[in-house]
Amino acid sequence: MRAEALKGHLDALLLAALEGGPRHGYAVIESLRERSAGRLDLPTGTIYPALRRLEQRGLIAGEWSVVGGRQRREYRLTAAGVRALEGKRADWLEFTAVISTALGGEPWPARA
Amino acid sequence: MAGPGLMADYVAALEAQLPAPVVRELAAGLDETRDRYVGEGLDAEAAARAAMAEFGRPAEIVAAFLQVSPVRRAARRLLVTGPLVGLCWVAVLVSDRSWTWPVPALMPAAPGVVLASTIALLIVASFGTRYRAVRRAGAAALAGVALLDASLIVSALLAGPATAWWLVAVAAVASAARAGFSARTLGRVRAA
Repeated sequence: MRAEALKGHLDALLLAALEGGPRHGYAVIESLRERSAGRLDLPTGTIYPALRRLEQRGLIAGEWSVVGGRQRREYRLTAAGVRALEGKRADWLEFTAVISTALGGEPWPARA
Repeated sequence: MAGPGLMADYVAALEAQLPAPVVRELAAGLDETRDRYVGEGLDAEAAARAAMAEFGRPAEIVAAFLQVSPVRRAARRLLVTGPLVGLCWVAVLVSDRSWTWPVPALMPAAPGVVLASTIALLIVASFGTRYRAVRRAGAAALAGVALLDASLIVSALLAGPATAWWLVAVAAVASAARAGFSARTLGRVRAA
């Protein structure tokens, strides 16, 4: 999957990668690779600025730690990040349902 | 940090542009990427090349950091909103014969020089491609904007009651908000 197609969804993917607990940048990249079965095709070096952007927006918090003699910056979801992820997930599910229905030729069911 | 050779050159290219803590984080990720390739059976040089290819070109990474730089975003916001605040003050100047204010009378060229320099710095911070230059220009521009706005507000106060007081109030509030935004952003940039 190309980087252009991911642009609008990268934030949600990164937040989802941190949902299971704190991870450092490389572990976030590995998580994205595993979740996408290796289909995410973007320069992994650009994941780090994306993490910084989420940190500036208060959706994740970063902290330095030393693991195995290596300094790592570990990120965790903040309460605002958890809420943002829930919102993005709901939006995405609704979006895919609408598109799937439209492409399948079925009318979108009216809400009760 | 990355080992000697190819990866050292790669990290040096990042160090030439990005702040040390950012490079430290990137280098740690690069090391782990290389280790994964070594674990998959590549020799050291091939693993290093594969890791660098996967990470992306240093220029690409620097550009991505520039896009999320608080200085760049603040500079662009100030460039867009600057003319609006400027128009408020031009309206005050025109309506209230404000050329008689004490500060411009004492130093007629100074505000213009600061304004022109600040705009030039904002343009560099908004569109520059060198991270350090953008950061320096942005910090100087933020200080310049705060100085200009503070000077305008003080000048308006020293000038005494204005004919169109509401116009001065609107301009002063706009300047105060912009000066506060500039000072807060400058504080965050210095702390980062």
